Amino acid sequence: MFTKTKLEQGVTLYTRNSDQFKTVNFAVKWKSDLDEKSAGARAVLANILEDSNEKYPTQSELRNKLDDMYGTVLYTNIAKRGNSHIVSLNLECVNDEYLTDGGVLDEAIQLMQTVIFNPNMTDGEFNPEVVSREKRSVAERIRSQYDNKTSYAQRRMLEILEPNSPISISTNGTEEEVVGLTADKLLAEYKTMMTEDTIDIYVVGDIDEQEMAEKLKIALKFSGRSSQQKTVYKKDESKKDGQIKHVNEKQDMKQGKLHLGFSTPVTFDHPDYSKMQVTNGIFGGFAHSKLFMNVREKESMAYYASSSYSSHYGLVYVMAGIDAELEEKAVKLINEQLTVLQNGEITDLEMDQTKALLKNSITSSFDSARGQIEVYDQFKEMEDNFTAEKLISKWESVTKDDVKEMASTIKLEIVYLLSGKEVVTHE
Amino acid sequence: MNKVHFDALQETLYNEKLANGLDVYILPKRGFSKTFVTFTTKYGSIDRTFIPNGKNEEVTVPDGIAHFLEHKMFEKEEGDVFQKFSVLGGSANAYTSSTRTAYLFSATEKVYENTKVLLDFVQEPYFTEETVEKEKGIIAQEITMYDDQPDWRLYFGAIQNMFHKHPVKIDIAGTVESIDDITAEHLYECHDTFYHPSNMVLFVVGSVNPEEMMAFIKNNQDDKTFREPAEIVRSFPEEPLTVSVKEQTLEMDVTKPKLSFGMKVTKTNAQSKEMLVQELASDLVLDILFGLSSEFYADAYKNGMIDESYSYGFSLEKGFGFALIISDTEDPKVLEAAIRKTVLEQVNSWSITVEQLDRIRKRKIGQFMRSLNSIEFIANQFTHYSFNDMNLFDIVPVLEKMKLSDLKEAFSGFSDEKGHTTFTVIPAEKNE
Repeated sequence: MFTKTKLEQGVTLYTRNSDQFKTVNFAVKWKSDLDEKSAGARAVLANILEDSNEKYPTQSELRNKLDDMYGTVLYTNIAKRGNSHIVSLNLECVNDEYLTDGGVLDEAIQLMQTVIFNPNMTDGEFNPEVVSREKRSVAERIRSQYDNKTSYAQRRMLEILEPNSPISISTNGTEEEVVGLTADKLLAEYKTMMTEDTIDIYVVGDIDEQEMAEKLKIALKFSGRSSQQKTVYKKDESKKDGQIKHVNEKQDMKQGKLHLGFSTPVTFDHPDYSKMQVTNGIFGGFAHSKLFMNVREKESMAYYASSSYSSHYGLVYVMAGIDAELEEKAVKLINEQLTVLQNGEITDLEMDQTKALLKNSITSSFDSARGQIEVYDQFKEMEDNFTAEKLISKWESVTKDDVKEMASTIKLEIVYLLSGKEVVTHE
Repeated sequence: MNKVHFDALQETLYNEKLANGLDVYILPKRGFSKTFVTFTTKYGSIDRTFIPNGKNEEVTVPDGIAHFLEHKMFEKEEGDVFQKFSVLGGSANAYTSSTRTAYLFSATEKVYENTKVLLDFVQEPYFTEETVEKEKGIIAQEITMYDDQPDWRLYFGAIQNMFHKHPVKIDIAGTVESIDDITAEHLYECHDTFYHPSNMVLFVVGSVNPEEMMAFIKNNQDDKTFREPAEIVRSFPEEPLTVSVKEQTLEMDVTKPKLSFGMKVTKTNAQSKEMLVQELASDLVLDILFGLSSEFYADAYKNGMIDESYSYGFSLEKGFGFALIISDTEDPKVLEAAIRKTVLEQVNSWSITVEQLDRIRKRKIGQFMRSLNSIEFIANQFTHYSFNDMNLFDIVPVLEKMKLSDLKEAFSGFSDEKGHTTFTVIPAEKNE
């Protein structure tokens, strides 16, 4: 679906010409190994690049420039996938065709060049004022995760389940690492990004692909590099003792956040990956799934009760918001739904519904340029000429026996409950 | 069927008001695979006191009923409606706001079958005392979930401070106590009053043939019988222009204090083009004074008064409106003072320039173009505009004609400090 052009060794451009959108979307992705130390530095660097640069040395100047370019959007974000940390610089501008005065596209390319290659430096270092501000911002971002109870509970569950592994390493690093970052460390990490990371560049919009490739070859002159970042992460099973962990933690809050972690050997690069996606869909991925129908609709125990398949880490997890007193009953009910799957008690209707919604979900995500970029970026590792249709046809061929077999590989590892200090009862 | 082509946007909108009063809009989008259909009634949490259809006496129903009704619409005698959508590959959802209840699905195939499920389930109520009772546990969990979200408490707390009597201050989902009073009879009464086609809008956007879709919808509606449309009599208490509570603080288990600063809008009776001008002009003023390119933002971010959680927004409906500025902050008093100072400076000496307006206007036009890529955005926004007799596609022409005097007038609608309030969430004292 994308045209692939090798700009340099380890630097690849993916373009897609489409008149579906009124804007042109760019993404530049830096990929490296995920580790706690560099994650923090990269999170701060992403903020520094987004803040200002040599040409627009203050945040206001850069933001004013973006306003002038018909509200061109420029932002960075960080993510992880399997073993990889990914820094993305994203830019979206209105297609010149829809504007009375054009030229925005060329300006956008120039701006991207400035942001990446000419950061805001003073005496060979990143501007110290910007550095200290963005260190503080990232540190606060890490700290404030405590305030969102659902994501906090999820993070705690993963930390307890797999400490010091890519599963639980935060994309932002740790607060301690971030606070302790020095100017040298940041500069060194920036140089690593610029010279050693695997770089993937994406462009989607109403563009002339060849012309775009020519322009970007000049504007984004990255040097060649030998790295070929792969996201595959292999779990170390040797440390497992086979015990199910039970952890209860407390905060001042009303609801109980119940999070269950299950492991499966079936990961993203496993031949049975698509079978596991269907299995998760029947278990708890949708509003017709067993978890929703039984935990929410039948027992009225929860507003949300769902499962997710984290394929890069070989995990399936279940989340439900419940009255904390009902933990035992909820865990039993959730486990029962899995047992039902393992016994092969699956209807044709559930198979059809799940396949139809999986299909709808991937087809729909291709209705946004960002969706096209993100989905393709993930699946191209599986296959260069990946298309949604290929994945859909794999789902189509999954049988009830496959689901039964997949379900039997899913093993409960941890039950985590975050709940209030006092029991709240509803009369 | 009416057809309006918007040349500059390269979009064509189709519209017809059906015999039963239902307003249908269709917007085909080239290149898209999915179709998004929303079926929305002009009925939200604020519609709590009204004369039920066929009656003469005004009633006040339990708080949270519009939202409760939304939940219960999905349950039918033969089972759960989600099941029907799923088998057709339709991803369904619904939401209730203070002014409307929307039912929607998106699908990349079987669009007609999905549309039929949508139209039929919303127009065929089925409630029993048993199913109503069963829902109370689920909604109680939903209410509790929101209670634990500091950001929701912060947002809603400022709204509650602003209003003395207007029901926008009542939580959309109600309370665990108020929903306990809800009966099947209430639900039938509200459905009968507010779900008549003449009080609803159907909007279809995406990969769709407008003529065929319109014919399909017409057939579906022609096969059903509805009572004659009747005007809905709602009643709202008189609302003062000042805020009800000037400041309030809530302790929660958070790491850093959070502030929301609310500015109540005094002019809330405009509709149509006048409302669109007021809404967009207010947005532009806020962008100029509090946006990412503003002086206020640059200073506040630099000095550590605000962080990445910072946001601001403007909301206007008939009968109420407000602007909100929200951020985590180490010192809520310092941030509050900086916001007040920024507003007061403009009140005392209006200094927004044509250059500023031109720049923000450009951004806003670009932002609108960008949002036209998202059919979810179009669908959700469209109904807000249509219920207030505005047209989403007038945004660009109105922006192009916007003058400084429009901004000044819009600003005067929320700049008086008597209409300002703060709501603060602070970390609870730890007593282990």
